[in-house]
Amino acid sequence: MRRTAWVLLAVVVAGAIAWAAWPDGGGRTERERARDLAAELRCPDCEGLSVADSSSSSAQAIRADLRRRIHAGQSDEAIRQGYVDRFGESILLNPEGEGLGVLVWGLPVLVLVVGAGGLVLALRRWRRQPAMHATSADEELVRRVRETELATRTERSGSGRGIPDRSGATHTGETERG
Amino acid sequence: MKHTTRWIALAVAFVVMAVGVVLATQVGGDPRADATHSQLVGDPAPSFSVRPLDGGSLSRRDLQGKAVIVNFWNSWCIPCQDELPALHRFADRHRDDPDLAFVGIVRDDTKDAVRAYVAAEGIDWTIAMDPGARAALAYGTRGQPETFAITPGGYVAGAQIGPTTVKDLETMLAAARGRAR
Repeated sequence: MRRTAWVLLAVVVAGAIAWAAWPDGGGRTERERARDLAAELRCPDCEGLSVADSSSSSAQAIRADLRRRIHAGQSDEAIRQGYVDRFGESILLNPEGEGLGVLVWGLPVLVLVVGAGGLVLALRRWRRQPAMHATSADEELVRRVRETELATRTERSGSGRGIPDRSGATHTGETERG
Repeated sequence: MKHTTRWIALAVAFVVMAVGVVLATQVGGDPRADATHSQLVGDPAPSFSVRPLDGGSLSRRDLQGKAVIVNFWNSWCIPCQDELPALHRFADRHRDDPDLAFVGIVRDDTKDAVRAYVAAEGIDWTIAMDPGARAALAYGTRGQPETFAITPGGYVAGAQIGPTTVKDLETMLAAARGRAR
């Protein structure tokens, strides 16, 4: 039962990651592709704006160029590469998924995996540790200690008034003489 | 137990190291560092077709066989105004050079403003408008002024991002003609 729950959880997580990461280039229109590419490219003569967000003449020229290239049948990757060849890597707002750019994308995933792995290890270790149950020897030991304790307390508080011994006889606390 | 702890420590050390590498290489560096130089140097010069102020059209193919200096500029751009004396001196020096084409391409300006500026400043080299900023885009310009030197065979021999000096222009021209200076 518990194993099934873990498997289900793994399937859900893997499905969510696949859904989020899957490229959805298949059914997009030319307009949508141009818009998405414009959002990925840095406006060359603006500060921190994408081509999609800028009204500069460069951004307008790039938007027109994107539409032309898409209409001519170029793939998104070829278009990106064309801009990198002309402007350098910095034209891309998102880091490339290769070279050192892999670290930017891969590190959060790595941290997540290492963290999850550590958690699983810790949980398994806690489960392996045996629960503490008192044995009969423990119970016997406790019973004896309690009796001794009780006897000592009674002896101290009842001196002179007689302390019943194990046989039920009463002693006065004084040495009996015959 | 002992080994597990060691592995966890190793994993944590690896992650910390990777974070350090990312911080050192991605965050510390200027994301626009490659904006200070052109990616086109050494590549075939992109083609262009621009509209000279005095009419007609001008393409890179029309300039084949000549060393070409292309200066992207705007009349309202202060650094472009600052470099204008150097452009004047360079143009004067090479006025009678039949193997050099010196072209100013207007990057983002109105024709009227450019005409008025050209007349006021006595600019006598070829000035052309760039409809749709296609030439500026083809040369990967990020602003103005930007200047490119093209060999007679059609390759980009040098580029200057920002205002040039006469010395810069002569160096680029020498590179375009295959002569180091």
